[in-house]
Amino acid sequence: MTTVKRAIPYLLAVVASFVAAGIFIALMGFNVVKAFETILFTSFRTPNGFIQTLLKFIPLLLLALAFTIPLTAGKFNIGGEGQMIAGGIGAAFVGIMFGNLPAILLVPLVILGGIVGGALWGLIPALLLYKFNINEILTTVLFNFLSLFLIDYFCTGPWRDPAAGHPTTIAISKAGWLPTLVKNPPLHIGIIIAILVAIGIYIFTAKTTSGYEMIATGANPRASRVFGIKVKNMFVLSLVLGGAVAGLAGAFEVAGNQHRLIEGMQSNFLVLGLIIGLISKGNNAAVPFVAFMISVLEVGASAMQRTMMIPVEMVFIVEALILLFVLLSDVVRRK
Amino acid sequence: MEIVINFLRLVLLSMVPFVLAAQGTMIGGRTGVFNVAQEGIMLVGASLGFLVSYYSKSVLLGVIVAMLAGGIFGLALAYFTTSLKMNQFVIGLSLFFIGVGVSTLLPKLILGITLSPPLIPTLKGVAIPLLSKIPFIGPIFFDQNLMVYFSILISIALWYFLYRTQKGLELRSVGEYPMTADSLGINTTSMRYWSSIVGGMLIGMAGAYLPMVYSGTFTEGMTMGRGWLAIALTFFGGWSPMPILYGSLFFSAVEVLAFRVQVIGSVVPYQFLQMLPYVATILVMIITFKRARVPGFLGLNYDREKRTL
Amino acid sequence: MEDQIILELKNVRKVFDQTIALDNVSFTLKRGEIHGLLGGNGAGKTTLMNILYGLYKKDEGEIILRGQPINIQGPRDAIHQGIGMVHQHFLQISNFSVLENIVLGTEIKNKFTMKMDEEAQKVENLCERFGLDVNVTDVISSLTVGARQKVEILKALYRGVDILILDEPTTNLTPQEVDALFESLRVMVNEGLSIVFITHKLREVLSVCDRITVLREGKNITTLERKDASEEVFVRAMVGEKMDIEHSIYFATEDRKAFDRSKAGTPKFTLENVSYISSDGISKLKDISLDIYGGEIVGIAGVAGNGQRELAEVVAGVIPVSSGRKVFLDKDITHKTNEELLHTGFSYVPEDRLTDGFLVKATVAQNLILGHHRGKPYSDGKFIDWKKVHSECTEHIKEYNIKTSGPAEIGGNLSGGNIQRVMIARAFCLASEVMLAHNPTRGLDIPSMDFVYQKLLARRAANYATLLISEDLDELMRICDRIAVIYRGQILGILAREEFDKYAIGRLMSGITSENQPVAEGTIS
Repeated sequence: MTTVKRAIPYLLAVVASFVAAGIFIALMGFNVVKAFETILFTSFRTPNGFIQTLLKFIPLLLLALAFTIPLTAGKFNIGGEGQMIAGGIGAAFVGIMFGNLPAILLVPLVILGGIVGGALWGLIPALLLYKFNINEILTTVLFNFLSLFLIDYFCTGPWRDPAAGHPTTIAISKAGWLPTLVKNPPLHIGIIIAILVAIGIYIFTAKTTSGYEMIATGANPRASRVFGIKVKNMFVLSLVLGGAVAGLAGAFEVAGNQHRLIEGMQSNFLVLGLIIGLISKGNNAAVPFVAFMISVLEVGASAMQRTMMIPVEMVFIVEALILLFVLLSDVVRRK
Repeated sequence: MEIVINFLRLVLLSMVPFVLAAQGTMIGGRTGVFNVAQEGIMLVGASLGFLVSYYSKSVLLGVIVAMLAGGIFGLALAYFTTSLKMNQFVIGLSLFFIGVGVSTLLPKLILGITLSPPLIPTLKGVAIPLLSKIPFIGPIFFDQNLMVYFSILISIALWYFLYRTQKGLELRSVGEYPMTADSLGINTTSMRYWSSIVGGMLIGMAGAYLPMVYSGTFTEGMTMGRGWLAIALTFFGGWSPMPILYGSLFFSAVEVLAFRVQVIGSVVPYQFLQMLPYVATILVMIITFKRARVPGFLGLNYDREKRTL
Repeated sequence: MEDQIILELKNVRKVFDQTIALDNVSFTLKRGEIHGLLGGNGAGKTTLMNILYGLYKKDEGEIILRGQPINIQGPRDAIHQGIGMVHQHFLQISNFSVLENIVLGTEIKNKFTMKMDEEAQKVENLCERFGLDVNVTDVISSLTVGARQKVEILKALYRGVDILILDEPTTNLTPQEVDALFESLRVMVNEGLSIVFITHKLREVLSVCDRITVLREGKNITTLERKDASEEVFVRAMVGEKMDIEHSIYFATEDRKAFDRSKAGTPKFTLENVSYISSDGISKLKDISLDIYGGEIVGIAGVAGNGQRELAEVVAGVIPVSSGRKVFLDKDITHKTNEELLHTGFSYVPEDRLTDGFLVKATVAQNLILGHHRGKPYSDGKFIDWKKVHSECTEHIKEYNIKTSGPAEIGGNLSGGNIQRVMIARAFCLASEVMLAHNPTRGLDIPSMDFVYQKLLARRAANYATLLISEDLDELMRICDRIAVIYRGQILGILAREEFDKYAIGRLMSGITSENQPVAEGTIS
């Protein structure tokens, strides 16, 4: 099947969701055409719109990968949010505590701090799975909540910025701020790193032996174990990788966008990341494209709420519907 | 003594969402349908239950509507997994998203974006005559609101149903090995649908309880992970009604304890105390996951015409 | 015996996806007869009976019971009409009791308290009447295969069926238990039942059936009275014209010479006093010692459940030994991982194809390299050469007759028999000094079984070592040089080819050695 033919069910799903949402919007008394226009084209009308889309794209791409990488091994990582926050804490830690270092050292270290923080937050549930066979859905979710309390502690405690109205830390040292590609509005190098990560993940799964072992593990862990694959190691590896990627998103948020740790930085990236991962059906190669599409919709949604007073949840419903229709298209294809 | 009685009263008061959500998860799981959408269903139950209570001035109606909404989610779960044979986790997650979205959308649409949220009256306690006068036990067990009594009674009813009736035996067989049940003429599909719908209803009720007893209003994300904790609780209770009831008491006790200590004040920063219920859950899971007796076909779908080797 | 036709299946057609499982098949059953439904795997026998029992829906055709056309929508209808079925894979709930399994789905008198004294009494009466003894309070997981089969039969008798279908009932029975089963069938027929006996074992059908219908590739081939036809007629009917019966191994009558150990060097694989205790503390393997030389095929005979699975997994390195040594190619591998084993000349065909060996969601190519994916020719250790994998895969698809659209097809689309061929290709395609095959031909049709036997004998000729664990005693006797009998985790005896005797092996399978008495039947301690 050619790529075009394969894309048809997705296009149909998008169209169907918009139709359904359109009916709802019309019933609520809003201008459907204007709404669709805003949702779809805000990203492309101005340079600012496009950059905002890219800035949304980075965490969405990374959080989606944080879900799809463990999914390759058959594990459900619902902890992207916690891992991102842990990464943010890690990055902030480095950025604040080692602020005296020159930028050439500090920037990579801050990023590393984020990766390590996220990886750790994925490692603990992975170990609980490894040693005690505890379902990772439960542990990763619980760790989300733990991270929320943790970030609250840091933002109202030791690193607190007393001048801020909302719980947030002091800024990290300027030497730790990510260099930018574009100054106004600021687009940091995270975009390049994120895309490289996506490519790296693809190469890993498609070409390497370890990548094959991860795929086999996800396809049938028992058979993989019988035929020599260290399945439990694969589970841990996949969760740590997923956590690391989410942690990277946290580092970008702290060092690239806000330059400090802000409570609520995780936004709704987790749920959107999960949706992107599911729409991509776990295919790491498809994730960047779906992530971009969702970024466009999200930017459009905020614009729509600002200018037309239509709640952003409307677009969320559209996204959930796209997922549902994509899943259903599988069923139809089977028959 | 007063302190202990009040503490225990509070524990029983707080255990309701846990009990209902966990029993709802259990009954569906006993036929093999593993619901992971609790958080979303509870949010819809809270949101819708609150709105209906507010506009109809009847808390009972709010609970009923929340129940029905939960039942619809249960029906959807059953349909997509049992009839369309789709992956249960993926569908569960999708329903979770939809639940989150709908629960925040509805109040925004209906109430608009307000600064001071409207309130509904909270559920009052109903003291059982005579029994509530027994020293110590009386005020704890027999002077609670109706939902507390309901959650205890439903647990006992579910236990009796599963282990002392013919239909209960049949239902359990569907979750253990549906091929067997099917070959003996048991309608596995209808069992899965019913258990999933009833399960969803209980979970919806669990959500409705939150605004009705705690804050009197609906706030985004007010479930605070209780839906996910319910899943852990179900494993903890070995997918069996009475242990789940006892486990709920435990979870609830830890939650109340953490809150109490926070109020009293301690050296430990309060955020770490807030973590207690979640950490306790993890410790509990370490103990129980090894020996948890899980229904044989949990999470799997059954296709009669699937040819095996 | 009356000559009345009690059941007729007419012109039945059933298609699964792309495969025609049944093509215009007809079948009749006379009252009081034992009618054998004979054919290789995949012939359509089980499919036909599953349609009768309501588990599958027919696409075309009629069912006429006692002269009236009937419509069967599900097992409930079939049972209602007096049709019962004992499946090859027992349909029992392992953690329920015998009584609960038997009454499941029926109307219990005290349905709101579950006091089942009356029901228990009814089962006990049936036990006496038909000579099947079971204890109604036992939990299924504690029973032997033979006992579980009795429970399965009681399930049907309890429902008062007068037509009983048995699907491959002798699969896990010792020769003595098979005789006992046939006795029970005779008792049932005398009590008024009519029986359909599905099997692929020609000898059995000849010894117990009155009439025999042969199916092949979903079509009727012939229906004959037992007394009217010879064995050869049935053989030819089962395999058709395409198979070379004369040179086949399946039907070989003349005997081979056994492997001569006196001239061999050191064994390629050795188990020395190996014991294994499972995680719940049960001793599954007790002090097993076994040598396998290059150039021989050693077989393990035994009733399922006596430790074969644990033996296979210990040899394949899936589970560690609790005590003892494993030696492979003169190296002690007791504590080595199975990953190393698979990459240094060991191959494995597991018994449970789907769960233990196949990746349903992966492609055929990805399935073929599983276990050998870290070494040549597929990989240099770090990266996989997918081009090479595809070209090799295409060749194997041809050689092993795997029906698939190509290396890129998703494994789950393949039929059961083809999934097995992939597993066999995987094990045989790379030369391996030692192979462990566990029930490798189960589920294959006769020509495919023969193909596997040819391959196994070719290994023998190439001086490779093979360990064959099988629950098919005929198969073992056909191709092994030695047979070791496993009973309750112990090797009770090893017979060389010259000593092969079905009943002697059967005695060992039941735990009867020349010294001791038979062990208590029915439960596994």
